[in-house]
Amino acid sequence: MRSALISFSSVSDASLSLSAVYALTGMVLLVFAAMTFVDRSNRRRFGSGMFWLILAIIFIFGKDKNGGLLPHWVTGLLILVMVALDGLGRVTRGSHNEATKVEQTKHALKLKNKIFLPVLVIPVVTFAVAFYFRARGLNPTDGALVGLGFGGVAAMLVGLRLTGAKARVMWHEGRRLNDTMGTVNILPQLLASLGVIFTAAKVGELIAQGIYKIIPADNLFMLVLATCFGMALFTIVMGNSFAAFPVIATGVLVPLIIKPFGVNPAMVAIITLTAGSSGTLMTPMAANFNIVPAALLNMRDQYGVIKYQLPFAVTIWLLHVLLMWAMIKIGF
Amino acid sequence: MNPSDWLKLGGIAIVIVGLALRLRTTLVVVTAALVTGLAGGLPLFSSEGFFDGLPFLTHAGQEGIINMLGRAFSENRLVTLFIITLPAIGLAERYGLQEQSAALIRRISAATVGRLQIVYQLFRVVVGMLGLRLNGHPAFVRPLIFPMSVGAAEAVTGAKTADDVQTDILEKIKAANSASENYGNFYGQNLSPVQAGILLVAGVLNGLGYAVSVWSLVLFAIPITTISIVLGAAQFLLLDKWIRKESANSKCEAL
Repeated sequence: MRSALISFSSVSDASLSLSAVYALTGMVLLVFAAMTFVDRSNRRRFGSGMFWLILAIIFIFGKDKNGGLLPHWVTGLLILVMVALDGLGRVTRGSHNEATKVEQTKHALKLKNKIFLPVLVIPVVTFAVAFYFRARGLNPTDGALVGLGFGGVAAMLVGLRLTGAKARVMWHEGRRLNDTMGTVNILPQLLASLGVIFTAAKVGELIAQGIYKIIPADNLFMLVLATCFGMALFTIVMGNSFAAFPVIATGVLVPLIIKPFGVNPAMVAIITLTAGSSGTLMTPMAANFNIVPAALLNMRDQYGVIKYQLPFAVTIWLLHVLLMWAMIKIGF
Repeated sequence: MNPSDWLKLGGIAIVIVGLALRLRTTLVVVTAALVTGLAGGLPLFSSEGFFDGLPFLTHAGQEGIINMLGRAFSENRLVTLFIITLPAIGLAERYGLQEQSAALIRRISAATVGRLQIVYQLFRVVVGMLGLRLNGHPAFVRPLIFPMSVGAAEAVTGAKTADDVQTDILEKIKAANSASENYGNFYGQNLSPVQAGILLVAGVLNGLGYAVSVWSLVLFAIPITTISIVLGAAQFLLLDKWIRKESANSKCEAL
């Protein structure tokens, strides 16, 4: 009995893992790739199919802390092939016979609110797995990702059952959405790579040094302004406030504000971090937050989300400067 | 600054110019990565296995640019996981998901586009407080919040179907949907001591010799989160006003 329990939990650990959901996502991409290769309506079906096939291979066999077969240099070269295909304009979308409005409204009248079931399955499973991970003392953020993966699969099953549609129809609709977004899909992962190379080439230290040199070390307001500005600027360049924070904290915040003025490190540090979030709202480098959603919603202007967020971002950034300065003055 | 420092910043220049000219984004990013890496004196490949000791391409003890490219891409597969949700969302859309969401929201007479964004932003703050980080654009915005917002816009502007809502209003709605997800997500997550941002700040400060508790970080995150909610609400209420004005204008033109 006991050994059965142990083996159940180890089996569930192996299948409830990030590697498993990466492999599942890879399988979905394999289906998209296969459909693209035989899509006669796509003039560039070979190049387009190759692009999604390579992404599928990286998803299934890519290496991370949990293992994987592909050495990083092979993955790196495969990425260069994908980018070359896209750069040469070889990745295009096929034509999709989309459901007409009349058809959709007819179905909506029949299924009523039941049509929400497949979509609601995704967040429900996501939360359930996240809380299961936390209860077992595992990382709940990993749990949310694993849950998103299995939620996607559960939603497919619920959707097929509910609508009585053929699996073919579902894959077709999935590929329609994927084609809508196109090669923008891989941008967040590419930008993460760019961030790693910026860090290795010490671009951050360069920016911190520049700030360190130009600001007067005795004027508190100017120092606060420079810290918030540096944090936002660096986040705009890196697309990620988490990458910017260690550099700005080490290069500017601690030596120029926390140490000489003896201020509360927790207070200034967290305000510095969110000053970076203002930068995230302004930059196309944060593609997963700003560019991918524009593609996902089929917007005409790929920078439409950023333009909308700009006034908010600038205002809240200014308020960061004032808040940090005022709280230091008040003596928090 | 010496010449190689300027070259390193060349990577940033490539990104800015490339994006401004709307060149193929993937190509711009990889070119910037290669230029920055080479300017920083990094080798193309790590000196291991097949490449062990190869001159020019490798440099003992340094990770290669191509290796970094592959490593970061593999380790960040999580940001692209949403692809697995696309078949189910596509299927539900074919069977009238967006129409039904719009129909549902039209029945709530108090619902406006702006108010819906305010409620969604608050919801995302609560999710963040629960200690969960998730990508709401594919999970909530595309399948639910966007069609609901269009439904609310139909009710406000008197459009009969989604096709009758003006394009410029639709574009603004899409942008506001994405923004309310981002505002709620970014500023809400700092209200939980298990979130990555809080843990990062605590870790970095500890490393620099300042022991801070995660709870004090959460405490000092409250003012900015509050400001983000107020600012977001103001922007979304202005959007409501703008939508009313736009649809009134277009009706005048039609007459």
